[in-house]
Amino acid sequence: MKKQSYFLAALLGLSIQIATAQVKKGSVLIKNATVITATKGTLENSDLLVQDGIIKQIGKNLNAPSGVQTIDATGKFLMPGIIDAHSHVGLDVVNEATAPITSEVRMKDMVNPFEVGIYRALAGGVTVSHAMHGSANVIGGQNATLKHRWGSIDPQDIIMQDAPRTIKFALGENPTRVHGRGAGIQPRSRMGVEAVIRNGFNEALQYKKAWADYNAKASGKGNTTVAPEYDERLQTLVDILDGKIIIHCHSYRADEIYMLINVAKDFNITKLVFQHTNEGFKVAPEIAKYTMGASVFADWWAYKMEVYYSTAFNAAILTANGAITSINSDDAELIRHLYHEAAKTQRYGGMTDDQAIALITINPAKQLGIDDKVGSLEVGKQADMVIFDNHPLSVYAVPLMTFVDGVKYFDIKENADDQRLKISATEMVEPIFLSGEAHRCMQDTEFLFETTESLFNQKH
Amino acid sequence: MKRTLLKAGVIGLLVSGWVSSNLVLGQSDPSGKKRITDTYAITNATVFTAPGKAGTKATVLIQDGIILGVGTNLSLPKEARVIAGDSLFIYPGFIDGASDAGITKPKDLERPEGFVSSNPADEIAGITPWRSAKDQFSSSGDKVDDLRKTGFTLIQSVPDGGMIAGKTSILVLGSPTSTNLLKDNASLAANFRGSRGMYPGTPAGVMAKFRDVYENAELTQQRGQQYASVAGVKRPEITPTYSAMSEVINGQTPVLFTTPTELEIRRAINLQKELGFNLVLTGLEEYEAIIDVIKASNAKVLIKLETPSDKSIKAQKEEVTEATKAQYERVKDAYSKAIAQAGKLEKAGIPFAFTTVGTKPADLMKSLKVMMENGLSEQGAMAALTTNPANILGISRFAGTIEKGKMANLVLTTDSLFKEGSQIKHVVVDGFVYDYELTSKKKAEANGEKKDSLKVEGNWDYKTESPQGSSGGVLAIAKEGDTYSGTITYDDPSGSGKTSAPIRDVAVEGNKLTFFFDVTASGMTIAVEISGEISGTSMDGTMSIAQIGSFPFEATLSPTLISNN
Repeated sequence: MKKQSYFLAALLGLSIQIATAQVKKGSVLIKNATVITATKGTLENSDLLVQDGIIKQIGKNLNAPSGVQTIDATGKFLMPGIIDAHSHVGLDVVNEATAPITSEVRMKDMVNPFEVGIYRALAGGVTVSHAMHGSANVIGGQNATLKHRWGSIDPQDIIMQDAPRTIKFALGENPTRVHGRGAGIQPRSRMGVEAVIRNGFNEALQYKKAWADYNAKASGKGNTTVAPEYDERLQTLVDILDGKIIIHCHSYRADEIYMLINVAKDFNITKLVFQHTNEGFKVAPEIAKYTMGASVFADWWAYKMEVYYSTAFNAAILTANGAITSINSDDAELIRHLYHEAAKTQRYGGMTDDQAIALITINPAKQLGIDDKVGSLEVGKQADMVIFDNHPLSVYAVPLMTFVDGVKYFDIKENADDQRLKISATEMVEPIFLSGEAHRCMQDTEFLFETTESLFNQKH
Repeated sequence: MKRTLLKAGVIGLLVSGWVSSNLVLGQSDPSGKKRITDTYAITNATVFTAPGKAGTKATVLIQDGIILGVGTNLSLPKEARVIAGDSLFIYPGFIDGASDAGITKPKDLERPEGFVSSNPADEIAGITPWRSAKDQFSSSGDKVDDLRKTGFTLIQSVPDGGMIAGKTSILVLGSPTSTNLLKDNASLAANFRGSRGMYPGTPAGVMAKFRDVYENAELTQQRGQQYASVAGVKRPEITPTYSAMSEVINGQTPVLFTTPTELEIRRAINLQKELGFNLVLTGLEEYEAIIDVIKASNAKVLIKLETPSDKSIKAQKEEVTEATKAQYERVKDAYSKAIAQAGKLEKAGIPFAFTTVGTKPADLMKSLKVMMENGLSEQGAMAALTTNPANILGISRFAGTIEKGKMANLVLTTDSLFKEGSQIKHVVVDGFVYDYELTSKKKAEANGEKKDSLKVEGNWDYKTESPQGSSGGVLAIAKEGDTYSGTITYDDPSGSGKTSAPIRDVAVEGNKLTFFFDVTASGMTIAVEISGEISGTSMDGTMSIAQIGSFPFEATLSPTLISNN
């Protein structure tokens, strides 16, 4: 009900208070659930109290303070909100594909809180998604970590403001196809990809030094050193070198994964996560030793040459080698049942319940640098959580309610069918673009392969 | 060119109506364009000097493009040409906050040998802050005439181009022999359009590049100051981009950001907060939910003078499922909100004005009336047409109201402006009087010849003008009972000669005819919409093709074939 009134308020133009207010924080007591904490085992018949968006108590026989709603979850399962470490939901633009390095581009500029995919993700229990730049460039744009506060009209309100900065890198076929084959520039090969990264970081070091030199002299009297050119592209690379940004790198093959590990070692970069990582199982010990792990698909491969060789045991092998491992969607449909994706690792790899749950909760939280805030049900953490009717790793599991910061944003029983936030004033049936909804890693790059001018006019 | 001269000639004749052409040619001005007098007195009219002021009977005396006086006891100089204003209502000339009238987009530059799409030159990538609208503007554009006909006398002309298209110019829509320039470099036109196939290609890239251009323009200025004051400093690299940005970073020139939607408005405001320029938001179409955000930003606002089409609302069917009904309600709700936005903006105390970029001049007043029926006050509408844009453009010293000493920009109507049936009879721009023929609709209705006598059926010979040139054909309409059907012939797009198609969804409302037909070319079907007003045996309207544009459409009823019906 609360959610609905919020929704109505936004619709009725009563947005004045809402738009200027902080994001909503809720209070709720969930009684008698099977609490899957993700970090501290599973607690039978337990209660969990949330106050002002923070988990205050987990235990038995808790009482609701006055004014706090109680939800009876007898026979139900409560787990941490699912975190998707690789998504493109909620973004107006995915690829600024026009240069091999576009680290100056920010996905936070392009967040679209009205995209109904956010609500669909909530209906799949996903409370946090990592809205990434696409994989057309060697070093793509900076990503946005989103909290699925559906109904917000200000993009800032669905950006997880206390999450660290992350950036997209991409190796292999995509960048070599777009830039080498498509535009006739470096990189044309995997060697070129490595060269682009190394050159980028070396230039960034020079850029950092130029500004340091200038800043040291600028205030001096009669200073003759002039300010260098401003370059946010290089400044962002400097920030990576300074450890302020976590790299999330699109990768498939073992050789390129190992290449980037070596580059990272050479430049003293430790904040590095591999995405897709379909041959990660071949270099699992190296990934475990030098990086923040790998985010993989449960069983999706063979959709192009470089990802011909993979296995559904990938996550299990990576985990067994001590690599932080997560299962992601990279897809507006898969994001709706990541709990099934995690469960596949029990069939292929025999992972335990705790291990499988960690793949979609605390592990992706670690890879996004937000594991101190979300990713498990622990006192003091932000109350992002889902209630399931069955154990979430069961094929019969259906999410019933999803909470972000203790506020219920999804309720399978109470919510109205039509959850669209934006309605066209002139179209009775709004167009739906099937291609745009699904795999968007390479969205906005079509023009690079077009041969005739006439095709240009087809795109919006 | 011929056409321009002809038009100018016609205007000249209108202005100096009684002078025979021989006499004009006998003077030292062989073109015949020179005016006999530049002094006019519009006597005893009902004058509305400013928004919210009641109309009072007065005479307006103008000379040299300036209002010499407004009052009842003016002594009229001998040379004043008198326009009897007894039945006329006078309003200040309208001001278009941002206009594309008369603008021709400069040709895209050839990509040089060895062009690198990841690092294109500014000029190719649509970063051209040094360009000026006045160089792209031609007063002979059709839209200029149409805009003036609607009462607009002054415009902020916006250059066409990429993400930083260039500087706007404030122009008066006056004499064809004048440059009509009032203020150059009035603002910097920017938008979130990426460049095709090169950096920056998307709004994400555009935002990053905008920051880059802005920050480096600031640094270039700083280096220049250092170079001027300290010996031994490396020569700063001055580029056309950074030079042209200097007025913007110094706060003298605002940035006119085209932001139709809610999220784009927020993006422009975010850039403004980060970088600190003066912001004017233009082209607003969807802003209902964030009026408070706009207000808090202190940005100036130009909303698009257009309301959404109500076609789909009207096309809603009666017998539908509950689920469809619920969806209908949401569209209705969205529509009602969209047409009520302007009124809400007024109530929020934001002194907004209009932009006509991307609109059809013939629909402007209709859209304004829809806004007024849905919350916008008459005073608010007048202010948005006159005083608000004058303030936003910084020209209220000489424009926006009817006052002694201000520019002689006036709209003369046959009835109070927003009354049904009121028509514009004259528009005075910079002291030049433009006369417009009144349509006889009212007369016809007064004589009892109502809609019934409207002749739609028959064979119409039509002509259209499009960038590809003019074309035409025959539109045959038959009437059976209350429904119309027919066929239309047109130039075959996939070859030479003519082909024909059935017309569909024919609707007649008042004297307005609308219908559609489908053109099939290279496997694609394109719907063409024709709408026009019929008076007697002529039809005047537009042909619209989705995503391509609207073009003028004229037709005359061929008399010989009517009897065959």
